[in-house]
Amino acid sequence: MRLDPSALAEGVRSGNRAALARAITLVESRLAAHVEAAERVLELLFPHTGRALRLGITGPPGAGKSTLVDALGLHAIEQGHRVGVLAIDPTSERTGGSLLGDRTRMGRLAARDEAFVRPSPSGGVAGGLGPRTREAMIVLEAGGYDVIVVESVGVGQGEIAITDVVDVVLVLLLSGAGDALQGMKRGLLEHADLVAFTKADGARRAEAQAARDELASLFTWLRPDGTPVLTVSALSGDGVPELWSELGRRKEALTRSGALDERRRRQRRAWLSDALEQQLLARYLSDPDLARRKQELEAEVERGALLPPVAARRLLPS
Amino acid sequence: MSTSDDPRERWRQLARAELSGADPDTLVHCLPSGIEARPLYTAEDLAGLEHLGSVPGEYPYVRGVRATMYAGRPWTLRQYAGFSTPEDTNAFFRRALAAGQRGLSVAFDLPTHRGYDADDPAVRGDVGKAGVAVSSVEDMTIVFDGIPLGEVSVSMTMNGAVLPVLAAFIVTAEEQGVSRAQLSGTIQNDILKEFMVRNTYIYPPAPSMRIVADVMEFVSRHMPRFNSISISGYHMQEAGASAELELGYTLADGLEYLEAAVARGLDVDAVARSMSFFFGIGMDFFGEIAKLRAARLLWATLVRERFAPRDPRSLLLRTHCQTSGVSLTAQDPLNNVVRTTLEALAAVLGGTQSLHTNAYDEALALPSDRSARIARNTQLILQHETGIVGVVDPLGGSYFVERLTHELATRARAVIAEVDALGGMTRAIERRVPQRRIERAAAERQARIERGTDIVVGVNAFRAPEEPEVELRVIDTASVVRTQTERLAVLRARRDPARVAAALEALVRGAEGSENLLELAIEAMRARATVGEVSAALARVFGRHEERAMTTTGVFTEHYRDDPEFAALVERTARFVEEHGRRPRILIAKLGQDGHDRGAKVIAGGLADVGFDVELGPLFMSPLDVAKHALESDVHCVGVSTQAGAHLTLVPELVEALDRVGARGVRVVVGGIVPERDRAVLRERGVAAVFGPGSSIVEIARMLLDLLEATPEGLAP
Ligand code: B12
Ligand SMILES: Nc1nc2c(ncn2[C@@H]2O[C@H](COP(=O)(O)OP(=O)(O)O)[C@@H](O)[C@H]2O)c(=O)[nH]1
Ligand SMILES: [Mg+2]
Repeated sequence: MRLDPSALAEGVRSGNRAALARAITLVESRLAAHVEAAERVLELLFPHTGRALRLGITGPPGAGKSTLVDALGLHAIEQGHRVGVLAIDPTSERTGGSLLGDRTRMGRLAARDEAFVRPSPSGGVAGGLGPRTREAMIVLEAGGYDVIVVESVGVGQGEIAITDVVDVVLVLLLSGAGDALQGMKRGLLEHADLVAFTKADGARRAEAQAARDELASLFTWLRPDGTPVLTVSALSGDGVPELWSELGRRKEALTRSGALDERRRRQRRAWLSDALEQQLLARYLSDPDLARRKQELEAEVERGALLPPVAARRLLPS
Repeated sequence: MSTSDDPRERWRQLARAELSGADPDTLVHCLPSGIEARPLYTAEDLAGLEHLGSVPGEYPYVRGVRATMYAGRPWTLRQYAGFSTPEDTNAFFRRALAAGQRGLSVAFDLPTHRGYDADDPAVRGDVGKAGVAVSSVEDMTIVFDGIPLGEVSVSMTMNGAVLPVLAAFIVTAEEQGVSRAQLSGTIQNDILKEFMVRNTYIYPPAPSMRIVADVMEFVSRHMPRFNSISISGYHMQEAGASAELELGYTLADGLEYLEAAVARGLDVDAVARSMSFFFGIGMDFFGEIAKLRAARLLWATLVRERFAPRDPRSLLLRTHCQTSGVSLTAQDPLNNVVRTTLEALAAVLGGTQSLHTNAYDEALALPSDRSARIARNTQLILQHETGIVGVVDPLGGSYFVERLTHELATRARAVIAEVDALGGMTRAIERRVPQRRIERAAAERQARIERGTDIVVGVNAFRAPEEPEVELRVIDTASVVRTQTERLAVLRARRDPARVAAALEALVRGAEGSENLLELAIEAMRARATVGEVSAALARVFGRHEERAMTTTGVFTEHYRDDPEFAALVERTARFVEEHGRRPRILIAKLGQDGHDRGAKVIAGGLADVGFDVELGPLFMSPLDVAKHALESDVHCVGVSTQAGAHLTLVPELVEALDRVGARGVRVVVGGIVPERDRAVLRERGVAAVFGPGSSIVEIARMLLDLLEATPEGLAP
C-alpha cells in the first residue's frame, strides 16, 4: 500500500473516491506500519471535520436498518447533502471472515455519485462497531460528506459504543417482535435520541402505529426530555421526510443546549481511553517473548488449570 | 434356524447371515433426496396407507390423472428452446416439429423476461443470449411464422413480463386468424417462485400477485384450452431444494394462487381447471417417481379440503416435467445422456403429462442442433422402443414406491403446514424462509460433492483421462442486437404514436385502478407498443422490485471440520491479515440480467467460511455499478459469477470501468459457464482466472490466495 500520508490526505480532501477508499483501508489496517501512516493522515484530515451530521442507526438484526439508510440517504441527497455510510457487519467468530451484506440493501443510494458506502467487518469488537469506525468517519467527513451514517447491529448492552461516535442515535424497532420491551430491558433505548418503528406499511402499518403510541406514552414517564417516537416505511417512503426533519431538529436542539458539545468532548475522552487501551495491548503483544508466554499460559487456561486473571497478571511486567 | 411368521423377520435373519452377523439396519441409507430408505420393503409397509386402492383417473389421482394415461396417448414431447433472433428460433422450432416434437415451449431471453427492449443499451450483453429476443408483436409473429397456432400447443416461460408477452402472443394469433379461444398451451405466470429462486421479477410482490390474478382471470374466461399458470417446483430443485421442499413449496404456491383468484370472486372450478404444474426430475430415481405421485395425491386432497370444488377436474394436478440441469456436468459431457435418460424414465413412470429432456451440453452452453436432437430422441426412444407406454402406473403397488409416496406426501404436508403458520407463501417468501432453506441445501450439496460424500461420475470420481471436445452453439449477440434494433426502429417509425400513447396511458390508469391489465396490454401490443414500453408504463405505477442478496455461511466450516487442507486455508487467511493488515476481501458480483445466483451464493458463503471478507453484490448490476462498489469497498478482487452467457460483453466492460473509476489494481476473476474458447479472450482482457462448474471451494480459495498474496494491493498503487 502506498504510504504517502500527505498525498493521500490531499486526495481525500479533493474528494477522490479512490483515495477515500484507500484511506479507510489504511485507518482500518492492523499493520504497525499502517497505523503510524494512518495517524498522520488523520491528523491532516481532523481539522476539516466537525460540521457534519453524524448519525448512528442501530437496532436488532432485520429491523430494517440498511433499507432505511437507503431511503433516508436518498432523501438527504435530494436535500442537497452528500452521504457517507459506514455499515458494520458482525464477524464470524469461527474463521474471522465476514459476509458483508449491508451495501446490497442500499442499492439505490450506493449507485449515487453523492454517496459513498463502505461496509466494514466488526472484527469481533464488542459493541457493534468496528475497531476503527471513528477513524473512518473522519476520513468520510474530510472527504466532503456532510451526513455520516453509521449502521451497527444492536443486540444488547454493548450498543453504548455507538453513542461514543455519533451526534444522534436513532434506534429502529420492529413492532410486534417484542422489540420495544426487549429494547428497554437491554438498554438499547437508554441512549436513543430518536426511536422509529420500521416497516410501517401494508399489514404492519397499524401495528407499527400502535407500538409507537405505546412506547410514546411510556416515554412520557420515563423520558421527560421527550424523545420522539415515530413510524417509518423505507419501502413506501412514508415517514422518511418526517424522520429526516426530526433528526435535524434533534441535532439542532442538542447544539443549542450545549449537549452536543458536551457529547463530543466526552466522545474524544472515550476515544483517548480506547486508543490507549488498543495501543497498550498492541505494544505488549508485539513483544515476541510475551506472545510466546501468552500461548503457553493459554493452554493452561484452556484446560482450566489456571485462572485467567491470574494468567493475565503473570503476563504483565510487575 | 427358526422360521418366523413375519416376513420382515425372516428377511432380517437371511440378511444377517449374508452380512456375516451384522445388523441389517446398517444398510439403512439416505436417498439422494435426503429421505431415509431401508434395504427392503414388504407388504407390511402398505399397512395403513390411505392412498391405496384407487384406480387411475379417480380421486385422489395418485395413480394418474387419466384412466388410460400413455396407453391411450403418450406424454407430450415438449422441448424448451429459444435463442438469438426470432428468425433463428423459428427455424429451430420448425425443424423440431418435423423431427417428432409435439408441442413448443419458448425460452425468451433475459431482457424480455425483465421487461426491456432489445435496443435498450442497458441490456446489450444479454440480448438473444439465453433465449429468443422478443420485444414486439412483429418479433412474436416471426417466432411462429408457418406454425399453425390453432393446432400446435405453445408453452411460454414468462413471468415478470407476462402481460406484454402473452398479449403479443394473443395478437400474433389474432393476426394469423386464430382466435384466443382456439389457442392451446400454457403461460408460466408463476411469480412467487421468481422471488424465491428464478429472479426474473419486475415489480414488487403485491402488484405482481395482482398481475398473476389478472392473467388467471382473463385466461380462464377467454381461453378455455390454455393453462393460465404453471406452478413451478422445477426451479426450486435447480436452485437446490430437496424433493420435500420442492413439493411442499410448489403446492403451497398453488394454494396461494387459487386463494388469490377466489378472493377476487372467480369460481374455483373455472380457475382450478386452468392451473397446471411443473416439476424437476433429478437423479433420485424412485424419489422422483414418488414425488409426482405424492404431488397428485396431495393437491387433490388439499384442494378438496380447502376449496370444495364441485367439478372433479378441479382436483387434477396436471404437470410438465424437466430433467435436472444441475445434475449434468461440464466434465465428460456424454455421461449426461445417461443421466437424462434415467431422469426421463422417472418422469414417465411418475406419470407426467409432458416432458423436456436436457441436452448433454447443458453445463456448457445452449443446446447445439446435435445435442438437441439426442435430447429429443431420448424421449422418442422411450416412447417407441421400450414398451413402457402400454401399462398405466406400472409401479403402483410397489411396496417401496407406495411407501415413499406416502413418506413424501407427509413431509410435504409438514412444509405446507409451516407455510400456513407463517401466513401463506407470500409472507413466507418475504421472510425468506424458503430461500434460506434452499440456499442452505445448495451449499450442502456443494460441500458433499467436494468432500466426496456424494459421488458425481467424471467430476469427483472416475474422471475421464481427457475431456472430449464438444461443438457448442455460439450466439453473436452484437448481430442479434443489430437485427432487433433495426426491426424496432421500423416498428417505431410506422406505428401511430397517438394510439400507442393512449394505450399506454390506459394501462397506467388501469394499474392505478383495478381493470384487467391483460386486456389493456393486448390493446397496447396491438397498437405496436413494445415489451419495454408496456413494462415501463406499469413500473411507473408499481415501481421495480429490488431483491437483497443474501446467503448462508457456516456450511463449509461444518463439512470440512477436521480437514487439514481446509484448516490450512483458514490459517492462510489469518496470516494474510498479519501481513497485509486486513483479510483478503472479495466482491462477488452479478452483471447484467443474469439471475442465476446459486453459484454466487455458494461461493460467497464458502469463501467467508475460509476467512475472506466477502461482499455479495445484488443482481442486475451494470459494470459501472460494480466498479463503484469495488472501489468504495477497496476490495482486493472482484469475482464475477456468470451463467447466462453475457460474459464476453460485460466482463471486459467491467475491467474498463474499474480502470476508469480508479480501481485499476483490483483483480478480476470469473466463475460459472464460460466455454473454453472464451477463457483465453477473457484472460487477454485482464481476467486473472476462470473457474468452471465443478470447481471446489478449496481449489478456488487456494488460487485466490495465491493471486492476492502476489499482488495484495487492492486499489492501484
Ligand atoms: C440451476 C440453473 C438454473 C436455475 C437457477 C437457480 C438460481 N437461483 O441460481 C433456474 C432453473 C432458475 C434457471 C433458469 C434459467 N436458466 Co439456467 N441453469 C442452471 C444450471 C442447470 C446449473 C447452474 C448452477 O447453479 N449450478 C450449480 C452451481 C453451484 O454451479 P456454478 O454456477 O457453475 O458455480 C460453480 C463454478 O462455476 C464456480 N463459480 C460460479 N460463480 C463463481 C464466482 C466466482 C467468483 C468464483 C471464484 C467461482 C464461481 O464455482 C461454483 C462451484 O463449483 C445451468 C446448467 C449447468 N449445469 O451448469 C443452467 C444454465 C446456466 N441456464 C441457462 C439458461 C438459458 C437459463 C434461463 C435464462 C432460461 C430461460 N431463457 O428462461 C433461465 C433464466 C434464469 C435467470 N433469471 O437468469 C443456460 C445458460 C446458457 C448459456 N450460458 O449460454 C444454462 C447453461 C443451461 C443451458 N445449457 O441451456 N437456471
Ligand atoms: N415491508 C417492509 N419491509 C422492509 C422495510 N425495510 C426493510 N424491510 C425488509 O426487512 C428485511 C431486513 O431489512 P434490512 O434493512 O436488511 O435490516 P437490518 O438487518 O436491520 O439492516 C429485508 O427483507 C427488507 O426487505 C420496510 O420499510 N417495509
Ligand atoms: Mg443491515
